[in-house]
Amino acid sequence: MKIELKQVTKAFNKQGNAVNDLSLTIQDGEFVALLGPSGCGKSTTMLMLAGIYKPTDGTIYFDNEPINHVEPKDRNIGMVFQSYALYPHMTVLENIMFPLKQMKVPKSERVFRAHAAAEQVQLGHLTARKPSELSGGQQQRVALARAIVKKPRLLLLDEPLSNLDARMKIEMREEIRHLQKEIGITTVMVTHDQEEAMTIADRVAVMKDGSLIQYSTPMDLYNKATNLFVAQFIGTPPMNFISGDLMKLGESYTFQENQQSRLIGIRPYDLKLGNQGNVIMNATVSLVEPLGHSNLVSARIGDKLVRFFADASYRADRGTPIVCSADLQKIAVFDKSTGQSIDTEHCIKEAFAV
Amino acid sequence: MKTQKSRLPSMTAYVVLGIITLPIILMYIWLLLNSFTTQMKYGVIPTNLTLDNWQFIWSDVVINGTEMPSIWTATLNSFLFAGSLTILELIIGVMAGYALSRLNFPGRQGLLKTTMLLHAFPSVALLIAVFYILNFLGLFDSLWGVILVKTALQIPMTAWIIKGFFDDVSWDVEWAGLIDGCTRFKVWYTIVIPLIKPGIAAVAIFAFLAGWSEFLLLYTFILSDENITLAAYLQKLMSNPNVINYGLLSAVSIFYMIPVLLFFIFTQKSLMQVNATGGKGV
Amino acid sequence: MGKPNVVVSAKKNTGNSNPNRIVGFLQKWGLPAVLLGPFLILITIFFIAPVVLIVILAFTNMDSSMVWDLNGLLNFKKMASDPNLSEIMLNTVFYVTLTLSLNIFLGLSLALLTTYFIKQESVGLIIRTIWMLPRISPPVVYILLWLWFFDPSEYGVLNSLRMIFDMPPANFLADQPMTAIVLANGLIGASYGMIIFSAAIKSIPGDLFMAARVDGAAERSIIFDIIIPAVKWPLMFVTLWQLLSLLTSYEYILLLTKGGPLFETEVLALYSYHKAFQSFEYGYGSAVALVLVVIALICTFIFWRIFGMDKMIKSSRIE
Repeated sequence: MKIELKQVTKAFNKQGNAVNDLSLTIQDGEFVALLGPSGCGKSTTMLMLAGIYKPTDGTIYFDNEPINHVEPKDRNIGMVFQSYALYPHMTVLENIMFPLKQMKVPKSERVFRAHAAAEQVQLGHLTARKPSELSGGQQQRVALARAIVKKPRLLLLDEPLSNLDARMKIEMREEIRHLQKEIGITTVMVTHDQEEAMTIADRVAVMKDGSLIQYSTPMDLYNKATNLFVAQFIGTPPMNFISGDLMKLGESYTFQENQQSRLIGIRPYDLKLGNQGNVIMNATVSLVEPLGHSNLVSARIGDKLVRFFADASYRADRGTPIVCSADLQKIAVFDKSTGQSIDTEHCIKEAFAV
Repeated sequence: MKTQKSRLPSMTAYVVLGIITLPIILMYIWLLLNSFTTQMKYGVIPTNLTLDNWQFIWSDVVINGTEMPSIWTATLNSFLFAGSLTILELIIGVMAGYALSRLNFPGRQGLLKTTMLLHAFPSVALLIAVFYILNFLGLFDSLWGVILVKTALQIPMTAWIIKGFFDDVSWDVEWAGLIDGCTRFKVWYTIVIPLIKPGIAAVAIFAFLAGWSEFLLLYTFILSDENITLAAYLQKLMSNPNVINYGLLSAVSIFYMIPVLLFFIFTQKSLMQVNATGGKGV
Repeated sequence: MGKPNVVVSAKKNTGNSNPNRIVGFLQKWGLPAVLLGPFLILITIFFIAPVVLIVILAFTNMDSSMVWDLNGLLNFKKMASDPNLSEIMLNTVFYVTLTLSLNIFLGLSLALLTTYFIKQESVGLIIRTIWMLPRISPPVVYILLWLWFFDPSEYGVLNSLRMIFDMPPANFLADQPMTAIVLANGLIGASYGMIIFSAAIKSIPGDLFMAARVDGAAERSIIFDIIIPAVKWPLMFVTLWQLLSLLTSYEYILLLTKGGPLFETEVLALYSYHKAFQSFEYGYGSAVALVLVVIALICTFIFWRIFGMDKMIKSSRIE
């Protein structure tokens, strides 16, 4: 099912909008993540898709039909909550059958379909238990089975992985992705974890203060951030920022620190020791942390701290002067005041001949 | 050496607690023993065991030539009073508690404040006006009238406590029910109500005991013998100007306290919780 | 809620666009009205209306003939010159302060003894449960126990004890009625403070006691520097709450001494009751009750100023 939000606004009180003028299109079968820090309006947006909240302004379309005032029960959607929201007084099977019961599906078919859904999430052997007797990961699977059992048009996932431990997270991430592609259901997931969003979604919508900042594929988000906020938010370790100008010096470029209106961003993976890249900078080492497969180097360029990776054999004392470099195409430049990205070519100044 | 020193305060604590707690237990034990004897030596040691004091169960008591109403009429009335009170309080309290906890409606803030104000309001000071209203409605000297009054006086607190139970149900569960295809009402009775069942049970017991023990309202607004309750029955025996028959009084008291003791023994834990959240009275 | 154009454009999908507005209206008003209806009706008839009535009645001289007859401030002038009222006021102050002190002292001692000094959870629980007995007993039964305790004949507990020491039987209830009242009420009130204080003491993290011991704190210092600060708020809560209840309740006094002998244990609330239901001076009784209500309301507002009630009010999250 194709979903369209047109200039959707949600206000809970007169002080401000929780969601502000949001326009977004989700294609049929697509997996979209709503990403942003807490309070950015991503959960409110999802609850509007669910029909729990009604937009104050604007329209939401499901397959080109406006559904602003359709009650949740008539929307044919499934949802997994952060707390899983399993009904504690029902068994696993009763939980999964619950949506079918509301659709007045005959009992025998209900049981059959619920068992099938339980199998789909590898819970076939636990259907007689109560939710309180299950582990966090198992409860999560029950919630997932309950959400997909009625074959909804839209699957909503609200921070589905945040209560799981690190290993379980990766396992469930793959499983959800697999399941989504298998049934081909349009899916929207809310998360504050950028890694989760990047690895699982077809497209990611980054939100901040109720507004959509960028909506693109994970690769574009990483490589072509249109906004300083996105650049800061995406990637671990986070992007390095130094303020100053790029100077052209013959074939290569150099960086000159100043407090002017531009920020230059370089991903830690793009910054290298030595001068192979064509943008060359001088730095002093402040810390070398061994990670096993490589070393994470923290260094100072001017008064800014940058981080990059070096060979596992690299050793350096604090204060050692080094030269590091990056390729010009990998560098992003942002306007300090607006936060918008600027074409790198436009920011290069000709150095005066010395 | 060290252990002996640290044991001292707790030994003292046992002694002090024993001295102040023992009289309470002894009083209740006396009540039980006294109901089965004709005379107590020094007022405390039972001598002649007998069932005479329990005669009220199979024959009506006659005091100073006037016959008391049957104990069974009083028992039935007490059950009717406490039972109806419980049912009314629960139905109205659950409905109002849910609305106060979960619904948005104009004037919600005002209603919440009013409910809290009434919770603390000196309701017994209003008896004169309540008397006028009962009279006006033709409900004076009627058990139903007093049931309504007692329900009204208790309901702000009950609704407030039940509102607290609803507050504790996570919104996620309720939302999940809506998304799974329920109407708001269906979510309410298939999902939310079962979740707060233990709390409701505690409130029910509390309401029943409050009704069962009620004295003042019944004493003030009920006159006729056919509407007599156990509290009034016992009080009538006690206020007899001649020598007080403690044997009979203890037997009736024990009889009167049977449901209280049963609830007390089996549910004292949850009762303490409800009491801590805002029981009224001294 | 939504803009009109949105409502119209939602037509085809839902198939119930016309009832849409009605549904919306019902959602906004219908459900709350149904759920709150009985609650509101009951409260209006037996709570709000009596409050209004008592205010009006206080300015009438209504008696058993039930005739409305406004008499202005006459009732209040009568109160000012009522020869019994000064004694009753004094009784009320005595009764409230003494009972309250006994309540709090007993409640706090019991809580301390059963939670802190006695390390065995189960023993503490049993003792607290026993102390709940008077509270849970019907008032009539509870008062019967006290009547027996104070019985003027040699069968009364007190007099049996006196006989052991060769003292003649005394009529304690006639000689020391106020003491009897305070004892009977104080024992019941103690259990309320006990429950709340015990919960407060139990919620102190155990580490804190250990840290204090490691720091070399004496038993006394632990009580005054750790436990008492932790029960400060509950203490204030219980004090004010009990004050409010004591001011306006008279059930146990009515049962134990009926305010007597003469006016020795008559308190303001009971006086109002007697005036109305014994002398059938409904107007005058209401005036006395009104004074009481005003005092109680002042207490309530102080109560709220201190404990704040706005924080308990949250908004609904389904639309």
